Amino acid sequence: MKTTNWYTIQGNENDVVVSTRVRLARNLQKYPFAPHMTEGQAAEICALAREVYPEADGWEYTDFGGLTTAERRSYAEKHLVSREFAESQYKGGLLSKNSVHIMVLEEDHLRLQSIYPGFALEEAYRDVSSADELLDSRAEIAYNEKFGYLTHCPTNLGTGMRASVMLFLPACSKAHLIRGFEEQLGKIGLTIRGMTGEGSRAEGRLFQISNQITLGVTEEETIHKLSGIVEQIVKQERELRGILCKGKRDENLVRNQVRRAYGTLMYATLLQTEEMVHLYEEIRLGASLGMIENLNPVRVDEMLFSCMPNTLAASEECKTPEERDEVRAKKAREILTRE
Amino acid sequence: MLCEKCGKKEATFYYKENVNGVEKSYTLCSDCAAEMQKNGVISGTSMGADPFGQLQKLFSEDKLFGSLFNTGLKQPEARETPKCPLCGSTFAVLAKNGKVGCPGCYEVFEAELIPSIRRIHGRSTHTGKTPARFREQNERKQKIAAMEKELKDSIASENYERAAELRDQLRNLRGNDAQ
Repeated sequence: MKTTNWYTIQGNENDVVVSTRVRLARNLQKYPFAPHMTEGQAAEICALAREVYPEADGWEYTDFGGLTTAERRSYAEKHLVSREFAESQYKGGLLSKNSVHIMVLEEDHLRLQSIYPGFALEEAYRDVSSADELLDSRAEIAYNEKFGYLTHCPTNLGTGMRASVMLFLPACSKAHLIRGFEEQLGKIGLTIRGMTGEGSRAEGRLFQISNQITLGVTEEETIHKLSGIVEQIVKQERELRGILCKGKRDENLVRNQVRRAYGTLMYATLLQTEEMVHLYEEIRLGASLGMIENLNPVRVDEMLFSCMPNTLAASEECKTPEERDEVRAKKAREILTRE
Repeated sequence: MLCEKCGKKEATFYYKENVNGVEKSYTLCSDCAAEMQKNGVISGTSMGADPFGQLQKLFSEDKLFGSLFNTGLKQPEARETPKCPLCGSTFAVLAKNGKVGCPGCYEVFEAELIPSIRRIHGRSTHTGKTPARFREQNERKQKIAAMEKELKDSIASENYERAAELRDQLRNLRGNDAQ
């Protein structure tokens, strides 16, 4: 698998699940956390990480200090690094191999994460855990028997693990179920948050479910719990999509919205990010329901992640936002119509 | 995260107010929030239509999290703690930042940190994966405990030959431990 394009690959339960991520926060015993760290110590941590994950074993290292702001933010748009890491004043780097991406000098010394398209919690945990074993065999990880893996922020203590699944839930959202999910998930140590819309989860259709509690629960328990919940929500979303399109009249209403959105994407000359995200949500539903010929949800995801503002600014010749909107319209069309 | 008032139920409300420059914040379960609202301690409008979103913010904003160290609820008095020998932090610095300075801080300030950690996670003891060096230590500890029990039983049953064997094996194991 090429390391930077997970969103171009077909994953499990792809009609509802966009991606799965598992990350582990790890620190080295003998070093202070970032605000108390000297430049020399930061350089030592980077050097140690590169020794643990050497290029000779297939690891690619990207020095974030040598990237432009757009390039750094582009990694965050693709969910390969956190937004905080992209903006961080401590210029660490990213180690990548297959599904695993390791942020060096994030809030914690190392943040190991594995990202998969579709629903793949076990695979993602397996990969990130194996990268963790490598670190454990070659460095002294900060740990004590009471609090588990020691992290900069106490919210990550214990396993240091955050497992998250990105879900496309247009039907649940339309049925106003998200607020209820929030309440129920909160009671069992999970959380759901919207990925689109201006802080309004009720309007968006893309959501992320993840664990909040990391202390006093095992990694397996967390994965198992999250897995069970995601399976239930996927089932509910599919049932509701069936109801949404029950009868010719209702189906035509959905089809009409989907095809109008597709039409706009086919003929737009200028396309702003916000509009693209809105159209993405319309046509992803259509692609999942087979309403647009030869278009599957993966291709729609590829359009979204390839046309985000910093990703375009980092990869295309477009200096102004207007130029970017023009390039976005063209690129979105190319991706959607590619053979 | 547990409700800071009852300490039993999951907190789903985060309330913050600023009266004449004096800031107060509460992290509450729905029952305690309703009770405090009824008693006029907190106002209904400020609860917001989006309590969960506010709670999310609580996790992401250092300052707010820092305030959790300072709620004064069932927390032990901050001891005259020395500075952390590795990073030089004091508990006051940790409370201000809402984050610790280095891995060693968890040992130095354990007593002060435990109430906040319990409030965030609902518990304060790790279960789950451990680094290899701790796995080996744990296995050795378990082995020593089992052998000590067998040694005691062997002496009680006057099986001195087995007891001598066990005594030598234990000496070796403890020797490794000391190293």
